[in-house]
Amino acid sequence: MFVAIIASFHVIASHLTVGAAWFNFYVERRAVREQRPELYEYLRKSALGLLVFSYVWGAMTGVGIWQSTTAGNPRGISTLIHNFVLFWGSEWYMFLIDVVGIIVYYYTLGKVDPKTHLRLALILALGGTGTLSLIVGILGFKLSPGDWLHNGEILSGFYNPTFWPQYLMRFLLMQTITGAWGVLMASRLPRDFPERQKVIRWAGTIGLVGMAGALLVGRYWYWANVPARSKALLSTNAFPAVTVDLLIGGGILTAAFLLLASWKPQLQSKLGAMALFIVMFSTVFGAERTREILRKPDVVNGYMSSNQLTFTGLPARGIESEEAKLNRDGVLGSLPFLPAADDIDSGPSPEYADHRVAVGRQIAIFECSGCHSVSDQTVIHLGDNQLALRQQSALLRKISANDEVSIRAILDNLGAYPFMHAFVGTDEEKDALAAYLVATVEEQQGPPTTLPAPEVTPVGGGHGG
Amino acid sequence: MEVEDALRMMRDPLGAPFYPRVFQVLLLLTWVVHIYFVTVAVGSSVTTIYGFRRGDERWLRLARSCARLTPSGVGLGIVTGIAPLLFVQVIYDPIWYASNALTGFWSVIFIIVVASGYTCAYVFYLKGSADGRLLWSSVLGLALLVLAGWIMHVLASVSIRPEHWREWYAPNGVADTRGIEFHSFNVARVAFLLPLQAAIGTAVTGLIYTWYRLKRDDADREYLTWVAGLSRRLGIIASVLYGGVGIAWAVTEGADYDLTAPMAIALGGVGLAMAAFFAAHRDPVGIGRRALGAWFASLAVVAVIREVIRATALSRFNYDVGSYPYRVDWGSVAMFTVTTIVGVSIITYMVMVLFQSGIGAGERIPRGIDRLGRVSTAMLGAWFAFFLLVGVYAVVAL
Repeated sequence: MFVAIIASFHVIASHLTVGAAWFNFYVERRAVREQRPELYEYLRKSALGLLVFSYVWGAMTGVGIWQSTTAGNPRGISTLIHNFVLFWGSEWYMFLIDVVGIIVYYYTLGKVDPKTHLRLALILALGGTGTLSLIVGILGFKLSPGDWLHNGEILSGFYNPTFWPQYLMRFLLMQTITGAWGVLMASRLPRDFPERQKVIRWAGTIGLVGMAGALLVGRYWYWANVPARSKALLSTNAFPAVTVDLLIGGGILTAAFLLLASWKPQLQSKLGAMALFIVMFSTVFGAERTREILRKPDVVNGYMSSNQLTFTGLPARGIESEEAKLNRDGVLGSLPFLPAADDIDSGPSPEYADHRVAVGRQIAIFECSGCHSVSDQTVIHLGDNQLALRQQSALLRKISANDEVSIRAILDNLGAYPFMHAFVGTDEEKDALAAYLVATVEEQQGPPTTLPAPEVTPVGGGHGG
Repeated sequence: MEVEDALRMMRDPLGAPFYPRVFQVLLLLTWVVHIYFVTVAVGSSVTTIYGFRRGDERWLRLARSCARLTPSGVGLGIVTGIAPLLFVQVIYDPIWYASNALTGFWSVIFIIVVASGYTCAYVFYLKGSADGRLLWSSVLGLALLVLAGWIMHVLASVSIRPEHWREWYAPNGVADTRGIEFHSFNVARVAFLLPLQAAIGTAVTGLIYTWYRLKRDDADREYLTWVAGLSRRLGIIASVLYGGVGIAWAVTEGADYDLTAPMAIALGGVGLAMAAFFAAHRDPVGIGRRALGAWFASLAVVAVIREVIRATALSRFNYDVGSYPYRVDWGSVAMFTVTTIVGVSIITYMVMVLFQSGIGAGERIPRGIDRLGRVSTAMLGAWFAFFLLVGVYAVVAL
């Protein structure tokens, strides 16, 4: 959730840098060719806004995604880094061009000759598009690694099946965000400013065209390349209805606003454009959540699961599946940061009366915490209220799984849920996890009010993974 | 499980896509650039606050310039920080990921701290730097930037002590997943790397500023001479302290790894050399570029020392960057090389334009720079053709 919130900020800020750079280039080109210096007033406002908000916040939230995923799912980010470090390094150059570029662009406005400044505008637009080009391959890889799963080639992973449609779709979508930005910046100009309405109309039109194009590409090209297993997830409980509402509602509101901007530019105000940004943030948040859900239960589709284990192996790179070995030998004591059962709660005065519960807690942290709140340590207390995301105990209580038999049955069938992986480890470890979950349900949810547990019906239903 | 086995298992099975020593060199080089901007952001923030507190005309003028510099320093610090963050994860993934997990809470909120610090600095620059209102915003921004530096220090410190990870992660065998404790730190190290480097970095930047502004026809020579003198004095005092605290770092953390003598010689020597440099230039007005060169050379020495500490700490467990598995991926290498050439050309061009504009020559950009602009922009355009052709090759031939 935290990653999705930061990612939504990042998407708005980073997409804006690219789209707005092209729009500014377009406006400045007209200013130079048609000798309309008054357009520079718009460019000054837009550049300062981009400098303060978009570029630096884009960079910070980008690093924020990195830091939070590093702490939350290090092996997932490690897979991306070790495949694509030199692509990421290339993106860094493009990003340097962006950040140095916007500083130079803003501080040289009116201080260098128009032709040189127009070149700076073009460099910014190209540099921004370069960052987009390089990051799309890495993003798409997680959802659709394509031939990389067979040949292990980094280029195959980068230019993966969703790369090309996503590249075009995002470029078009950027124009929508840029349209809103253009309206916001132009509406800050005085109402009698000669070019105010013209710029708003251009911005609204470009935003609408971009949105229509993105929808078409998304529906007919991108969607066709999304793995079938991922598509199936959208009809399960893993995909909450509120996400659909955010996407459709946000899309309609954005289209209506941009239509109004190009039709009646004189009606536009700063407040309205700012409200649109809030709407777009919600929509992007919905889209980011959807992108996350489409990969479930994997970090890299078909290679690494959310518990950070490689489950298929990659023979072309000499990598074996980790799951098979761990099912045989057990996870405890076999992996770094997973102590052997005897070393768990081994202090002079143990915290847990039942050692199995202590062992089960360690397994829950390892196997389940990638998606669930598994202990009180991952619950945020706000007065009497608790914030716990996909809390295991609450989900189990919801389906009346209160005792060891019913919980064990669920653990036996985990792999049948389309958004969950099968349990990894030995039967003893599974028993310990069940014992811990029973204790946690009782401790966190109180005594059960409904009994007995229903029969387990995993596919497509049950608890959200 | 033994620490040595754990470190070996935690390396990514994919390996590095190029020779690991090259990533190590890139890590050092990019860290030098990153730490320069970070420390300039901190130093300029202190100067802003001090200048507004002093209140006389020259100090106010300097403080306003520094208020403008701080957010740019933070922005460039973040952007240049991406590269070392990238390279450290390639060759030191086990220790970097472990320290981030063990310090999870701080690692996750790190960017919120930096973003808030940046925002405070910008709010002061935009709304308060004219008359000194909202100085609290600048103070808060400084506090947040220092906290961010502290978090990074703790992450580095935890990463080189793998022998303690297990007890930090699961005291008495019960895992603590909050990641809220600062498990390891060294005050001398952080004092050396943050406040003292900020002071010297600010002194050097003051000299660069003087050299640059004097190129303008309308330069205020008296004011700039004062700035240069002030920078020189700050440089001398801070460099002496720098050497002293460097020795303190050597006898504390250095002793843990049997590195006291080499560290004390190198860090004490760097401090003395910088102090001598500043002291030797009694007329510091035109020495900006030399000062910057000397400072980057010093930072390179510090980068090497940091790396020696890390390598020595890990060699106790037979972890060596040179033996990190790798498989050269020529597609990635080609992409990085071509983008490096294009990126460096474009950035050079843009900095030159900014330079010309700053000295009032923006309306008559020299022909050579204009030609560089034309060529590098064309190269940037051609980069897209290259990028797409590589894609077509990947789809068709692999």
